[in-house]
Amino acid sequence: MMFLRQLRGELKKLFARKRTYIGYVVFLIFEALLLSLWVYVGRAQFEDLAERNFIPVELLSSSLTATYWIMGFSMFLLGSIYFALVAGDIVAKETEDGNMRMVLSRPVSRLRILVLKYCAVIIYTVTFVIFVGLTGYGMALFAMGSEGGLFVWNPEMYILAVYPDRDEAFQRLFTGACFMGLSMCVVTSLGFFFSCLKIKPAAASVMALSVFFIDFVLQNIPFLANHKDIFITFRMANWIYVLQENIPWERIVESYSILMGLCVSLFILGWMVFQSRDFKT
Amino acid sequence: MLKVQNLTKKFAGKDALKGVSFNVRRGEIYGLLGHNGAGKSTTLGIILSMVAAEKGEVFIGGISVLKSPQKALRKVGSIFEAPAFYDYMSGWDNLKVLVGLSGRFDKNAAKEVVERVGLTDRIHSDVGAYSHGMRQRLALAQALLPEPEILLLDEPTDGLDPEGIKWFRDFILGLREERGMTVLFNSHLLSEVEQMCDRVAIIRAGELVYEGAVAELRDDRPGVKFQVEPPEILEQVTSNFGGEKMTGDRWVFPEDTEISSVVRSLIEEGAEVSEVTPVRRSLEDVYLEHSSLSKP
Repeated sequence: MMFLRQLRGELKKLFARKRTYIGYVVFLIFEALLLSLWVYVGRAQFEDLAERNFIPVELLSSSLTATYWIMGFSMFLLGSIYFALVAGDIVAKETEDGNMRMVLSRPVSRLRILVLKYCAVIIYTVTFVIFVGLTGYGMALFAMGSEGGLFVWNPEMYILAVYPDRDEAFQRLFTGACFMGLSMCVVTSLGFFFSCLKIKPAAASVMALSVFFIDFVLQNIPFLANHKDIFITFRMANWIYVLQENIPWERIVESYSILMGLCVSLFILGWMVFQSRDFKT
Repeated sequence: MLKVQNLTKKFAGKDALKGVSFNVRRGEIYGLLGHNGAGKSTTLGIILSMVAAEKGEVFIGGISVLKSPQKALRKVGSIFEAPAFYDYMSGWDNLKVLVGLSGRFDKNAAKEVVERVGLTDRIHSDVGAYSHGMRQRLALAQALLPEPEILLLDEPTDGLDPEGIKWFRDFILGLREERGMTVLFNSHLLSEVEQMCDRVAIIRAGELVYEGAVAELRDDRPGVKFQVEPPEILEQVTSNFGGEKMTGDRWVFPEDTEISSVVRSLIEEGAEVSEVTPVRRSLEDVYLEHSSLSKP
């Protein structure tokens, strides 16, 4: 009970800061932009493509498919920036501003302080992804109506799936969003780890993004194509398998076990550094 | 109430504390004086378990801070120089978040403390809009919740205007009067220490160089100031009497020395003595004598 009360306090601190909302605002604008481009530019091209490939047009031109494109295209590259920014701040900013001394003067262990902060940024990450999914879907519903199912196409992950039934399509997409949220926790954990080091908050965010983008670039180098499994970003992209007709649960469990292991390791490393630090003016 | 034993700490291979020990008795206001960088804040950091000591122990109410920091810190409230709050939140929310880390946030107790520190009217405003004095009052409120037995104050009056300093001093003295609060007071403001503390310790380059009652400090070594021409004769004659030159041109002599004999000798040596003034040793003199880097 006390933990939940303290977590509420941590979330209050997080959500009382204006910069926490930068990501939300940017994504809302981006979603609106992407949707407008879809409706006024992309839609005709895709409908033409669908007709030539014997795919029912109402599947491609649906609100769920639009939501899938918005989430799939934006979250990895744009979302990671905000997760790294918020997680990079969570410990380092308080240390820099001197708030951490006020916190540490309380009868509470450093581990508990970090668990509270980590839980807060994880909640932020997962809810952010779901927020993007729901607002994207809301906007798409407004622009395109509620008719139609879901068409999924991702050549890099070898996925092509069609869900004419709207309920099943929604369920699949929502599950996908939840898994994507879990994937993005890796970026958050990277930011959190660097935030525990004795560096500036901006440096923590930049370090986390550097690791993430280096991994992403390496993963896309052609001669490493047979070794994709070793890259974090490839494992993170495994959320999309939830949208495959026969869900490869074994592969998903394996990838998410690795990702969760990585998150836990990053937390433990961050804690070890934080525990050994001296806090002085 | 607070027992600090043989604290040793190094930063980047350099000694920050060298075997610092002192005791603060229950209900006492104890001053820790020293230059910037002398080791006062490091000592406080170790007491609060924010800084790891290489050697030594700290006990608060008999509980070891090194072994059971959370249990020991339940008895402590602390205030730092320039307290850092979450500026984007109200004073009340700051209290809720910080006090919540110690356990349950008791609204009624908080309201009472807020009223006592005189922040009732502004407690729901964002801390970003607070003056330094208001922040210090809020710091005091958070330190008093939930009821501590000892207050650790790190340069708490720095940056306050004279009115704010007086208010703060009266408040702390009032707490001791009413609740028998124990206070450890870190400062380099001598007047504050002189007016508030029962006992004082002087820390210099990581070492405790003096510990004693404030009253003793002021009076235990009376001295004399001379106006003599040429001054070289003064040096020579006073040294014959075992005199020691202290800060502020004050000379102190062994207890049985008769100052009239010193004056007579000066005249016999051909000096022109225009003034001889007995000088009471101030806390400032003691502080400068003990904390001066040039005079160990």
